[in-house]
Amino acid sequence: MPSLFRRKRLMIVLVGFIVLVALIGFSIRDRDSLSTPEKFLQDSVGWMQTIFHKPVSLVDNTIENIQDMFGVYEQNEVLKARLSEYKGVIQENQRLRSEIGELQQTLDKSDSLSDYSPVQATVIARSSDRWFEQMTINKGEEHGVEKDMAVMTSDGLIGKIKSVGAFHSTVQLLSGFDRSNKISAWVVREDQDEAFGLIEGYDDETGRLLLEEIKLDEELKPGDTVISSGLGGVFPSNLRIGTVEEVVNDQFGLTQTAYVEPFADLFDINHVMVVDRTAETVDTGAEQEEEAS
Amino acid sequence: MSRYFIALLCLFFLIMQGMAMSMLPANLVYSDLLMTPHWILIFLLIIAIFYDKDDTYNAVWYGLAFGLLIDVIYTGVLGVYMITYTLIIYTVHGLNKWLHANFFAASLLAVVGVALADTMLYIIYSFVQITSMTWGDYALLRLLPTLAANMIFFIILYPLVKEKVYAWGEEVSNI
Repeated sequence: MPSLFRRKRLMIVLVGFIVLVALIGFSIRDRDSLSTPEKFLQDSVGWMQTIFHKPVSLVDNTIENIQDMFGVYEQNEVLKARLSEYKGVIQENQRLRSEIGELQQTLDKSDSLSDYSPVQATVIARSSDRWFEQMTINKGEEHGVEKDMAVMTSDGLIGKIKSVGAFHSTVQLLSGFDRSNKISAWVVREDQDEAFGLIEGYDDETGRLLLEEIKLDEELKPGDTVISSGLGGVFPSNLRIGTVEEVVNDQFGLTQTAYVEPFADLFDINHVMVVDRTAETVDTGAEQEEEAS
Repeated sequence: MSRYFIALLCLFFLIMQGMAMSMLPANLVYSDLLMTPHWILIFLLIIAIFYDKDDTYNAVWYGLAFGLLIDVIYTGVLGVYMITYTLIIYTVHGLNKWLHANFFAASLLAVVGVALADTMLYIIYSFVQITSMTWGDYALLRLLPTLAANMIFFIILYPLVKEKVYAWGEEVSNI
């Protein structure tokens, strides 16, 4: 009788191992979409998270507001000083925008890579496992979110959509990026053309992004701004990513690598925008109507 | 009846785990020390110690189900938490036979359980190349803070649920 038990236990361990390997193999490959049970679970837990999230965030916001109130006076002084500068900038911006519009019309080119339509979303949970830099937001397929779309806060880019459920989706943060998800980027410099590079990873120790594949003869200065180029497929261009902090040659000495400090705070995130590039799916008729109105 | 309560509580902890990461102050949760909450595991260990008898394996089945839920919702790599939690709860259930069920024995088992589970997750994730952390870094930056954070949770949770869980266990075995 004991030998039967031992054999049964061995069988269970073996079957468990096979199931583990099969499930990991099934889920770790690059999938286009989640399986239906996964979507169902993600959405139903998402609803529950939303229910709990509401009161907790209310308390959280109240505390934050009270803390903010103490700094209001100094902020106000600074902002007043800034405001006068902005007036001039707004006028210039409007003038340039109308100029671009006219030029585009003469070229008969109505869509550009920098056009996008944002979907506003709220962060309802974050992955509890710290090997995974992911979070869940409360917008999904039904709201027009698709896999690989860019996700940003008002400060700058924070990640991309990893998987989508019907009403909720998972965001992969920049801090969890590796070589399998690259972003093509431009470094904006004064008096020179943009330098091209690829965001290929994240340095855990210093909390900076790695901008690789920059040509050796490009001269970058610390403080240069990095924006997305829009050439990589789904991301629109001109999304702010970060500032260059340090430039080093890569290990073979063929290209340069820049360490980029992200604009956005990757930890304290509450509200995000999912950015849907209009360039691919643009409906020219609708666009012209919008312009006319 | 108590089975549904346990499942509901597990679900509550599952949701709270994700909420805690986005709601707790960022400088506490996101310092260099990386803490992973294993609240469901701790609760299920208490179930395994006080609710289950020597020949019932409820906690193991809960571990299987909620491990899979964590995989689907928080990591996207299926099976890892499922197998880890199941195995660890089964092991602790076995170890429990040799110890008296009191606070010190239970906290000892909880420390061992969480440490084993986190290490096992690290081993599996480094095999599938999700992490490339070295053992030294892992032990210092992840394992110790995780153990500390989860023990605090255990010490808070233990007095709240222990009597209740024990009573449920007696109730079920008397029927």
